Amino acid sequence: MEVTVLIQATDEAFKIIEEARNRALDVLNTSVRFTAEAKVLEEKKVQDIFKGAERTKSEVLSFLATFALLFFPFWMPLSGFFDVFHLSIGVGCCALVAYISHDLLFVNVRVGDMRTIVKRFFAYIPWLLYQIYLASVHVIKIVLKPKMPINPRIIRFKTKLQTDISMVTFANSITLTPGTITVEIKDGEYYVHAIDEEVAYDLLYGGEMEDRVAHVYMEAEHVYVQDVLDVARIYGALR
Amino acid sequence: MIITYEDIIIRTLTRVLAPFLQLYALYVIAHGHYSPGGGFQGGVILAASFILMVISFGLDMARRRLSEKVDIIFLCLGLLIYSGTGALCLALGGNFLDYRELTKILPVTIARARALGILFVETGVGFGVMAVMTSLVYDISTGGLPPERR
Repeated sequence: MEVTVLIQATDEAFKIIEEARNRALDVLNTSVRFTAEAKVLEEKKVQDIFKGAERTKSEVLSFLATFALLFFPFWMPLSGFFDVFHLSIGVGCCALVAYISHDLLFVNVRVGDMRTIVKRFFAYIPWLLYQIYLASVHVIKIVLKPKMPINPRIIRFKTKLQTDISMVTFANSITLTPGTITVEIKDGEYYVHAIDEEVAYDLLYGGEMEDRVAHVYMEAEHVYVQDVLDVARIYGALR
Repeated sequence: MIITYEDIIIRTLTRVLAPFLQLYALYVIAHGHYSPGGGFQGGVILAASFILMVISFGLDMARRRLSEKVDIIFLCLGLLIYSGTGALCLALGGNFLDYRELTKILPVTIARARALGILFVETGVGFGVMAVMTSLVYDISTGGLPPERR
């Protein structure tokens, strides 16, 4: 008699303990979920602040760079009047154009690299002129031979260049050298029309021009230390 | 409809050329009374930069820079500047577009007032021509449908 009562009591007690444990687990789970949500929200907020700051900074920098590039080397020699009236008109026009199209000129360009790229680009031009001279001599020889020893073909090769501007520079360098013409660029492949094997030799086996263009635009050798510094500064300010 | 073909060379060169094209157009408008050029030519060059964007990047990209509403506003603004300058000279007691009367409200000589009046009129003509050309290309490339029925 007492034994059955005891067993019932222990059963009840176990049930109560079980329920209490389940409730405690529920409370714990909900609290953990809330903290996790709060953490995710906070991280998102920090990321948004970081992205917004980065975007504003890059927009302001590209606006200023476009304005300077338009006003000093382009407007002032074109205008030729340096009184207050004409200079103020120029400032207004340059500000308007830079506001409309500040995101056109400088895309995916790091401000720290700009100076180096411009320097290397101007160093690349004389070499390109020399190549144009050599190719011109070759094409003149072909033209003056009465047998006309041409062998036209379209060659296709994959490029190792990555950005738009470097691809376009390479394509226009190919077009500028006589005897070769870039027909089109598709999915990182160049289709080049060549007049015979000799003018296409550098494109197929040498690749010197491509290496030089990659060197101009700082591809394949560059470490972005600038990014790390930017992130550290903004996160430090937030804390 | 204009079907865009993604050509990397044309797109990049458009990107590089368009700001210089727009600035050259504004130079032609602003120096119309010293050198060849003027409102109509500058407006056409300015419209050409937007048409180049429509052809190479598609309609949406050009519309982000100059929406159709802003385009109509520019059209009316150009006409208003042009006729407003003329009507101002008329209200000051001269003939229509007689810039000599501007000396009554501006502290300048008569020759300078004539140059300033021509500059105002050329600005109005440039804005108007730019807006008309751009809206023509927008209408042709959308098939003449209003924005909600495309």
